[in-house]
Amino acid sequence: MNNPVFSNIFRFVLFLLLQIFICNHIHLFGFINPNIYLLALLLLPFDIPRPVQYLIAFATGFIVDIFQMTFGIHASAALLIMFLRPYWVATLNIGKKKVEKMEVPIPGQKDLKWLVTYTSVLVLLHQILVTMLEVFSFYRFGYTMLGILVNTVFTTLLILCVQYIFMQEKKNI
Amino acid sequence: MNNLIEFLKQKFHLIVFGILQIISIILIYNTLNYPRFVISTATQSITGPINQMCNNVIKHFNLADENEYLMQQNLALLRQQKQNFLISDDTLMTAILTDTLNPNSFIRLYDYSYANVIYNTIHKRNNYLMIDKGADDGITTDMAIISAQGIVGVVSDVSLHFSTVISVLNPDSRISAKVLPANQLGTIVWNGDDPGMVEMEDIPEHMNINVGDTVYTSGYSNIFPDNVLVGTICKKEKKGMNSFLTLKVKLATDFNHINTVYVVRNLYKTEIDTLKNKMKNE
Repeated sequence: MNNPVFSNIFRFVLFLLLQIFICNHIHLFGFINPNIYLLALLLLPFDIPRPVQYLIAFATGFIVDIFQMTFGIHASAALLIMFLRPYWVATLNIGKKKVEKMEVPIPGQKDLKWLVTYTSVLVLLHQILVTMLEVFSFYRFGYTMLGILVNTVFTTLLILCVQYIFMQEKKNI
Repeated sequence: MNNLIEFLKQKFHLIVFGILQIISIILIYNTLNYPRFVISTATQSITGPINQMCNNVIKHFNLADENEYLMQQNLALLRQQKQNFLISDDTLMTAILTDTLNPNSFIRLYDYSYANVIYNTIHKRNNYLMIDKGADDGITTDMAIISAQGIVGVVSDVSLHFSTVISVLNPDSRISAKVLPANQLGTIVWNGDDPGMVEMEDIPEHMNINVGDTVYTSGYSNIFPDNVLVGTICKKEKKGMNSFLTLKVKLATDFNHINTVYVVRNLYKTEIDTLKNKMKNE
């Protein structure tokens, strides 16, 4: 399991299954629908060639789309955050004196503050794109925005919880 | 060249990103109805007026063809009308029950073709039309000519490629007609002044006929089929001392604007005429 390729593939399969079989059926308060599969995308190593990252993001989003009958929306949004991810990490690392070689952004390598900013902004972008593409109007814009925010908070919390509960041990490796 | 390759290598991820993003947008557009609706309404508000302007110009070039198609379609519909058929099963021998839905039990009595009007007068004392179909197209004398609006006239002379038509606006023309709903027979004649008005004679005074009633052909002349529109009654008149009314009928056909007409052929005309002649001889 220490082979990064296999662990990534395993992670993708796991989170896609989680997304498809559990999170797609969560409709908390009518509109909370966490996108846990983003964690797999956010944990994708930075040293993969960027075209390959895009293809992975597109494929992942597309698989989620197939099960939500929203062809293209998740693919487009996942692709966008995968595109913006390096720039966002570069922005986050501006203050650092020494920019270490990009590793997997998990607890133990990064502090909580970094992880929260990294995750929440990308999730927010993803959520905005998914919701706006799906709603595609400014009718009841406040309600739409509320849905986006609540969903973002929920998804971010879920992702951080999963990270802190299940990936803490990697610190010891 | 190397620079170009270097540049492409550097920006390759951008190209991949763009292509995938376009694919996903196409997917969204093709599968989600509401975004498609919004996008297409937005774009149509721009493209719509432009397309319409183009169409306004272009459509005039197609009018001749369009007319042709419409004529063909009208002809097909005319040929299907009920009054063109006799029911063959309806004889003493066979008819206990008549299956009106069975197409084999119908005999076609009237058939149609169409022609263009190439000459037309309305302000003379004896008005004629000329059409561009003649003996070569199977036109014979005494065929009825109708337009989409109503009756027009009867073929009087036939050459190889052209025919002359005595229009309703001719004192020689006498057409058997009926007034509905009273179902009273009469004869349509033209008195020679107004090209929009004909007279219907020989109506008994006691018949309950009102202004606004519709006049149709009766079908008894075996020239015009049954129920072709003639016009509407606009005035009742009493002439002289006899007990007959003369009805002023406003023609449904606008003789100023006749371009295409239908030629009606009675397929059993010779048979009927032979019978009629025998009757006269005896």
